[in-house]
Amino acid sequence: MGTELTGPVLRVAGLSKRFGGTQALTDVELEVMPGEIHALIGPNGSGKSTLIKILAGYHHAEPGAVAELDGEPFGLGQVEASRHDRLRFVHQELGLVGELSATDNLALSHGFARTAFGNIRWREMERRTSALVERFGLGIDVRRPLAAATLVQRTVVAIAAALQGWEGRRGVLVLDEPTAVLPPGEVARLFDIVREVRDAGAGVLYVSHRMDEIFALADRVTVIRGGRRIATRPVAELTPRLLAELMAGEDMETTHRPAPRTGPTNPVLEVRDLWAGPLRGVGFDLAGGERLGITGLVGSGHEIVPYAVCGAHAGQVSGRLRLPERSEWWTEARDASGLGLPLVPADRAGEGVIGDFSVGENLTLPLLDRLRSRSGRLRRRRESDLAQDWIRRVGVRTAGHGARIATLSGGNQQKVVMARCLAGRPPVLALCEPTAGVDIATRLQLYDLIERQADEGMGVIVSSSDTQDLLALCTRVLVVRDGRIAREISGRDITEPALVHAMEGTE
Amino acid sequence: MTSTPTRAAELPPSAPERSAVYVPGTWARRAAAALSFRNIGAVYVWLVIVVLFTVWAPDTFPTTITVKQVLNGNAVAGLVALSVVPPLAARVFDLSIAFTMSLTSVLTAHFMVSAGLGPGTAIALAMTAALLVGVVNGIVVVVLRVDSFIATLATGALIQSLITMVTNDSSITGVRLLAEPFASIAQLDAGGVTLPVLYLLLAALAIWFLLEHTATGRRLYATGFNADAARLQGVRTDRLRFLTLVASALLSGFAGVVFTASVGSGSPTAGTPYLLSAYAAAFVGATQLRAGRFNAWGTVLAVLLLGTGITGLGLATSAQWAASLFTGSVLIVALVLTGGRIALPAVLRRRARTRPDPSTSKEIR
Repeated sequence: MGTELTGPVLRVAGLSKRFGGTQALTDVELEVMPGEIHALIGPNGSGKSTLIKILAGYHHAEPGAVAELDGEPFGLGQVEASRHDRLRFVHQELGLVGELSATDNLALSHGFARTAFGNIRWREMERRTSALVERFGLGIDVRRPLAAATLVQRTVVAIAAALQGWEGRRGVLVLDEPTAVLPPGEVARLFDIVREVRDAGAGVLYVSHRMDEIFALADRVTVIRGGRRIATRPVAELTPRLLAELMAGEDMETTHRPAPRTGPTNPVLEVRDLWAGPLRGVGFDLAGGERLGITGLVGSGHEIVPYAVCGAHAGQVSGRLRLPERSEWWTEARDASGLGLPLVPADRAGEGVIGDFSVGENLTLPLLDRLRSRSGRLRRRRESDLAQDWIRRVGVRTAGHGARIATLSGGNQQKVVMARCLAGRPPVLALCEPTAGVDIATRLQLYDLIERQADEGMGVIVSSSDTQDLLALCTRVLVVRDGRIAREISGRDITEPALVHAMEGTE
Repeated sequence: MTSTPTRAAELPPSAPERSAVYVPGTWARRAAAALSFRNIGAVYVWLVIVVLFTVWAPDTFPTTITVKQVLNGNAVAGLVALSVVPPLAARVFDLSIAFTMSLTSVLTAHFMVSAGLGPGTAIALAMTAALLVGVVNGIVVVVLRVDSFIATLATGALIQSLITMVTNDSSITGVRLLAEPFASIAQLDAGGVTLPVLYLLLAALAIWFLLEHTATGRRLYATGFNADAARLQGVRTDRLRFLTLVASALLSGFAGVVFTASVGSGSPTAGTPYLLSAYAAAFVGATQLRAGRFNAWGTVLAVLLLGTGITGLGLATSAQWAASLFTGSVLIVALVLTGGRIALPAVLRRRARTRPDPSTSKEIR
């Protein structure tokens, strides 16, 4: 290490950011000291990722923000070579090319060693990579494609790539939820690596929403919620209870509180012993008119439940389910698609809408059989009537049902997806992250729409990692932890603190 | 609240619509949209070409003989071009069509000349072979999940080996091929316009109806545009892809039979020259009428445009290289003028074949 400075290695102050009508960050400040692991924690949607993306130069900050590295100001929202030298990132997606080896991946971010003729000196490249990677001692074969490596090995390669040519400098390594996909056994190894980086004198900004990790690893923690910095504390002064309260805002009043349903209703869906991905034996009953939330931390598998129920999960599924009002027979979960329950998927652009189709074509895609004349011809007039009817009913703002759906805002696209699901009058509607990327006004309209359907007797399953959805929408919430339903909260007990405690397991 | 709005959310809701969509409004506005350069640019280009060659070769070009020559001479090319439209709508590439065409050409001739079968039986056997090719393509592409671009190149090579086996790479000729009733399949004419022109019209009509007016057609386009989303909506994407490969094999196979009847020989390379022009026409066609969608009448229009140009060049100059130069230029110009906004080959789009596990999709790309 060079000169011993006592000031923070990274300082950010007065940082705000708006996306359209959404205030993502408000006047955030953050200081990372050299030789410290500084955790940044907050619930989903609190603005953590936005902050990281601004630091990394993906987004611009609103004017008035101050950012300094070792006392030298740098511009937020632009990629500069000078900053790149000091501030290194390991993003959630890791940014690796799976088909290439560790050597290639490191070279992609730092360049190849070449001879005078311009050909790559592979021997030297491999030696260099080995030196960087071996330090973490995971037996990574630097020549094999990364697709064959374990998740922790890949994470290590990403960290090694970020640390190239950086040894001994004063800088900040930013890790954005690096443990999200790691199996529990491998998390400890990652922590050792992070500590090693800190002990070499660098500052580490460690983004997470898992409290256990904060206590295991961090020196100080900054809590952000709703785009604001709530507190910065040394971890030694905190208890899990205290941190959870900071994260959840114990005193926060809840806004839109649905009345708990009165009187018993018959179940419209029964799910038993569901295994899929990380899920290990999840079961529940869904009553007609009920709005059942399913939540958990990233990696808990809660988001798989709607897919599995609709028979749309890509991986192995086992378990059984039944629609008691329709049949007394159980259906194997892997045949669940035969039940024809509609799904509002999480990835709207990838799985929800067909961007090159018009609004009307998107709406009627699962209903085409109903629009056929006896000769097999599509009844265009009836199709456009149906589309217009649903556009009106769910309040889609569009130039017409013939407009390309890609020209609509995310919220309006989501309304089309919902309308398409509802048009089949299903007994159960399953939604995954229904309000992701939707502005607040449209979000309330979506809540309202879902509520109206439930009031007419439809059972609704909402998987969401956004507590706002659960608070505003659900009459009962199942919290998934370690692949099982860890807690069931219903009615007035659904509060942000209760949800956060249940997700983190700090009850 | 998710802190990163999706890209779709950032799109202005008032972004201009493409002409492919129905725009509610006055009759005049709809007519203007229908006649716009963006919608039927190929018609205007075609008119320019007609005028150009009328001036360039006033004695030979503007005659009824030229009209008949363009129609009769491009009917087989049109059939082959139409055969790739249904697969392309579902974003499947069938590059084996040229070989399938050669196969049915030589098989029809082989069964009639060498085996002495009647034309009906010979055609039935040849078409059965085409059906088999389609099924094999379907199995390799859909069941074994090989990318269609590569898979149909491979099956094309297999078909070529079969052709060589039958023919030793020489054409099969015989008087029976030139005799009635077989030859009349391609050579019967009304006022100089031969039967294959009728086949072309019927095939275009059938594909147009399928794609525009049936649920299956809509599902084919859905499969092509976003197979994952289509699958979640209950579209049986695999089955549709399979069927498009069978359809393209049958139609290109039929083109092979017609080719044999029109030239009077079974040629082991009958299909080869038609492959590129078929894809050129289908891609130019996708910029017409239903911009962004592979469609039947756009393809026919493109075939006629290319056919007129090449015929005109043949009459106006004797330069051998002019025809290919013309085809290539038209393809590029058409794609540029429409912003290139049509389906890219699947191999060029790095899109996962199956939906990734949602629990890991965020982290590993």
